[in-house]
Amino acid sequence: MTDIAKIASSVKSLQESLEAHNYICSDQIATAVYLAYQLRKPILIEGPPGVGKTELAKTTSQMFELELIRLQCYEGLDEAKALYEWKYGKQLLYTQVLKETLDEVLQGAKGFAESVKRLHEFGDIFFSEEFLEPRPLMKALKAEDGCVLLIDEIDKADHEFESLLLEILSDYQVSIPEIGTLKATKNPPLVFLTSNNTREISDALKRRCLHLYIPFPDLELEQRIIHARVPEIPPELRRQLVQFIHELRDMDLKKVPAISETIDWARTLMLLHTDNLDQDLVRDTLNVILKFQEDIENVQPELSTLTSNALKA
Amino acid sequence: MDRTLSNFINALRNADVRISTAETLDAFNTVELVGYRDRQFLKDSLALVLPKTQDEKEAFDACFDQFFRYHEVDDKGMRRAANDDDGDEADEAEGGQGEGEGGGGSGGDPDAQQRTGKKKKKKSKGARDEEVADEDLGAGEMAEPDSKLGKLLMTNSKVQVSMAIAAAGREVDVQSITVFTQKGLYTRKIMDAMGLPDMQQEMAGLKQSRRIPDRRLAVELQHRREWLREQVRDHVEQQFLLHADAEGRRVREDMLRRIKLSNVEQRNQHLIKDVVFRMAKKLVAMHSRRKKVFKRGQLNVPRTIRHNMAYDGAIFDLHWKSKKVDRPKVFAICDVSGSVAEYARFMLMFLYSLEEVMPNIRSFAFSSDLAEVSDIFSRNRLDDAIAKTLRDYSAGSTNYTQSFRDFRKLCMDDIDNRTTIIILGDARNNYADSPTDILKEMYDRSKRLIWLNPEPRSTWNQGDSEMRKYSAYCHQVEECNSLMHLERVVNNLLRTVA
Repeated sequence: MTDIAKIASSVKSLQESLEAHNYICSDQIATAVYLAYQLRKPILIEGPPGVGKTELAKTTSQMFELELIRLQCYEGLDEAKALYEWKYGKQLLYTQVLKETLDEVLQGAKGFAESVKRLHEFGDIFFSEEFLEPRPLMKALKAEDGCVLLIDEIDKADHEFESLLLEILSDYQVSIPEIGTLKATKNPPLVFLTSNNTREISDALKRRCLHLYIPFPDLELEQRIIHARVPEIPPELRRQLVQFIHELRDMDLKKVPAISETIDWARTLMLLHTDNLDQDLVRDTLNVILKFQEDIENVQPELSTLTSNALKA
Repeated sequence: MDRTLSNFINALRNADVRISTAETLDAFNTVELVGYRDRQFLKDSLALVLPKTQDEKEAFDACFDQFFRYHEVDDKGMRRAANDDDGDEADEAEGGQGEGEGGGGSGGDPDAQQRTGKKKKKKSKGARDEEVADEDLGAGEMAEPDSKLGKLLMTNSKVQVSMAIAAAGREVDVQSITVFTQKGLYTRKIMDAMGLPDMQQEMAGLKQSRRIPDRRLAVELQHRREWLREQVRDHVEQQFLLHADAEGRRVREDMLRRIKLSNVEQRNQHLIKDVVFRMAKKLVAMHSRRKKVFKRGQLNVPRTIRHNMAYDGAIFDLHWKSKKVDRPKVFAICDVSGSVAEYARFMLMFLYSLEEVMPNIRSFAFSSDLAEVSDIFSRNRLDDAIAKTLRDYSAGSTNYTQSFRDFRKLCMDDIDNRTTIIILGDARNNYADSPTDILKEMYDRSKRLIWLNPEPRSTWNQGDSEMRKYSAYCHQVEECNSLMHLERVVNNLLRTVA
């Protein structure tokens, strides 16, 4: 069992521990995890795609050795899929069983009032936790030792869904009309929300969260990330490759390459046993980092300058 | 400590970062956890708690640096004042000159006055010479200051000095500072309230003294006075940013909403752009929520059955399919000839900022001939597009008849019963013949035809204005010459169309 409290006691130890799990992060990111743990607040992570938003949640769960419960958001996601649902099949089955044994149950009951009273005892049972099918959010609340709850791409879900989250995020509880309020165990989950900013998240939600923006990393940080993820790559090539990517990011592209693309590219180049970037090689592997034909065509004419810049710098 | 944070939050709010009370509490908790010791750590932490969008983060960065810069200068200044005796002389002389007049005040402690005897006001030249001479006194025994301020300055405690500055600030009510020209005044006032005149006198006396330690003290006090002045100036600056600037801006923006758009000065253009975007954003927020009400309609069979299993399959809890809302289709026809061009600029700016709730905008510009400019807007940034439109189409005298004809040729067929047409123009047709048949056709085909006239109502129908003729074929005719008008019109537009 890892000592969570010890790891999370300072930003420095968090950063080191994340690094040990191959997640290289800036001070800001480590500070965010630190505050999230200390203040028991959810983190809303925004940033361009592919900078490691989801990865942060995953790594944190590994680091703390906690279960990761993930809720992928999409349009039309509702409480039945996110929070809980009644086990209708089971309820129906039990109703049938009850029907058949109704006689026995009511035997000896004097008058209508007493019969109803006896039936009431069953009514409550049908809407008890026995018949509750927990979905990710509820599962996260009920996890004994705490867990990491990842609500991924919250911007893809509808507005209404955000309101549904508010109760969980601020008080770590849900209210179920038939049962009452379910509170989290003494270890509330560590909540990460990610958003790609396709739409504005409501103020109410933002207010309840820490807000972390992960930008593209700077040269040095990205080199370290590549080093951690693709350790076999020679340092010189690593430098060139990161330099090249950074120059691409300054260009006007439809989709700029993210860290995940840099990693993919590094792996590709390793597979091809490369030691040095050269123009032809870059041209052949350009489709690893650029995902739109339009972008590729835009970059092609600039290739020689970009490559020589990367080699020089 | 807490005062610092709430002041900081106040400054952030003035810099347009929205911070709720709950977030303020979070910030306090954070600071309790993090402490003030590590500046970068504090900044990182607060950056997570307070600003919640990227724009706000930028504002936060700037604000934080400015707000907490104070203490850095503090440190440096104090150290310099304490250790460095041969500082830049010219600087000092300048300070001495400025203070010459202020130093003549009455009062002061008797001891100092007694020693001064026949003191005379020191003016620049004399002061300079003497100071240069005094520079070489070297380290050694130093006299004790007698005046209140002098004692305070010699304590080497910047905390006490800061507190004294703040107290003096409260005394002279520095918070009521409203315009930047008052900065100098308030700096003087605070310094006076702190007892500068007394010290001034004492210093003058010390300089005349024959005792070396006295003179040494005079030099030292001189250094520290300059340092103090810097501190006070910073304090006033900070107060100004905290209180006056935001107030002034609010007044300015409020005025901009009401001012006639053609009267907006060049230097306020960027400000009004901000206002336009903010108003547009408000409308977007309002109307994207409103459309939820319309999301009822078809029965969602699978969901209904699933939800009604609990009721033994009897369907009485119905679930509905959400229906997509019709987005308004807007045709904006703008007169861009000289007199109306400024209004066209802002209307286009406004309409295109609403893209999120009104994605289908087609725009047309005319003075003598009409052409579609939607393309220019889709290909360029908003600013450039507007500039280009105004450049290319504003030549020529207004001709409504010809423009309507062009419009019919271009896109009369595209107008359907969901289209809203907005015409912006003064209806001044230069005494040309103004048939209304095309306008009538537009009126018949469209859902709504709105005419916005930037002129005040009283001047409609005067001279060559054909407003009366045209307004017969409009659903709505509005006077529209300020951002407020514009906001009202667009708001109504979204409401009726959604």
